[in-house]
Amino acid sequence: MSRSLALDTAAWSSPWRHRSVADKAVLTLALLATTLLLPVWPTAALSAAAALIVLLGPARLAPTVLARSLRSPLLFIVLGAASVLVSVSWHDGPRVAITAQTSTQALTVLGRGVAGTLCVFVLAATTPMVDLLAGLRRARVPEACVEVASLVYRLLFVLLDTTRRIREAQAARLGLRDRRTTLRSAGTLSGTLLVRAWGRARRLEEGLAGRGYTGALPSLDPPGRVSIGFLGATVALVGVIVVVSLLGAGPR
Amino acid sequence: MHIAEGFLPPLHAAAWTVAAAPFVVHGARAVVRERRERPETTLLLAAAGAFTFVLSAIKLPSVTGSSSHPTGTGLGATLFRPPVMAFLSTVVLLFQALLLAHGGLTTLGANVFSMGVVGPWAGYAAWRLLCGRHRGLAIFTAFALADLATYCTTSVQLGLAFPDPVSGIAGGVVKFLGVFALTQVPLAVVEGLLGVLVLRLLADVAGPELARLGIVPTTPPSEAVTR
Repeated sequence: MSRSLALDTAAWSSPWRHRSVADKAVLTLALLATTLLLPVWPTAALSAAAALIVLLGPARLAPTVLARSLRSPLLFIVLGAASVLVSVSWHDGPRVAITAQTSTQALTVLGRGVAGTLCVFVLAATTPMVDLLAGLRRARVPEACVEVASLVYRLLFVLLDTTRRIREAQAARLGLRDRRTTLRSAGTLSGTLLVRAWGRARRLEEGLAGRGYTGALPSLDPPGRVSIGFLGATVALVGVIVVVSLLGAGPR
Repeated sequence: MHIAEGFLPPLHAAAWTVAAAPFVVHGARAVVRERRERPETTLLLAAAGAFTFVLSAIKLPSVTGSSSHPTGTGLGATLFRPPVMAFLSTVVLLFQALLLAHGGLTTLGANVFSMGVVGPWAGYAAWRLLCGRHRGLAIFTAFALADLATYCTTSVQLGLAFPDPVSGIAGGVVKFLGVFALTQVPLAVVEGLLGVLVLRLLADVAGPELARLGIVPTTPPSEAVTR
């Protein structure tokens, strides 16, 4: 199941793992804001290229992981852009047409969607979730909410592993041979998973109660020192994108 | 069906975030209050959140020949009530955006509004309306309706953001409803059937928990002794 959380696995082994969360968040959000707020061309292409260079260069994300992680959002973006591309009307019967306006809009959606997704990957593929949650705690998000989110993250891996094991057992017993049995197996799997999740939470609660649990599981925070050099490079990168975009602005 | 990063114009993304915020804040306050009064429930809530996330790893057969995954919106709303789901959905959607690249950060508000607010409330309303008459039908309707309501809301969000040049917002909404209907309508039916199977299994193996959550009637003590 670790394949499905490939971005998280990549984040743990990223050379940028020990960089400050604030550094990486500023870079990601600056690239995202540039992509969304400036004229789409050439901004989207520049932001996407910048994100790709960062991901495959200093962040050393494997191209196969990047390609696999992009598949699912790309499907939505392409389907959505195809819907925007086509214009429908009902006057004198149903009519479907592709116009210059819809083509421009579809390209806008496609460009911003792909560039935006790549920008988010900069944060997702370099920052493990525990670091982000520690960052949220420092940003004064209520402790109880961060605690629930942390516990969700901790329980994820156990439940994903349980899902894989149950699924393999069902497959070995021909539980996935046709649609009917697959649906029944999915029902059994979901129910069993919920019962296991409850059971684990209860056992964890009992174990923690014995250790004086008061509703918080504090852990050491990741290094939080902001790098002036990194922020300077971010400002320079985004500045270049802004200047080039405004000089060569296409349709908004 | 989560709206991908960068897909919504900035104004729309901001507006949906503002629309979802009161529900999420209400849910977060409920979590803070619950933790103060009963710290042990934090773990149960976390288990519910992790379960909702993991549901997206379960493949369901689709009539189109492909496979899809349950949203868990109906199950969460029926078991844990919609206010809690607004908060849990936010956590789950944030995790899905960063761990699986499903959805996005700027589109988080829009996705929370459809999957964490409208879906759970639609499913919960159907459950409350029908649970007194026919439990199986109530479960099926709640799960299927939660899924359909999420999909319809997402289509409306996309239709508002990208109105058709000729037929306007209505045309835009119809286009998105049509394109995603191929996977979402069968998925809603399958998720309804899945819900019936899941709650039937849970009634067998986790009866007391379901009774505590008010999903099945509590067994009278005299009957329990007779058994």
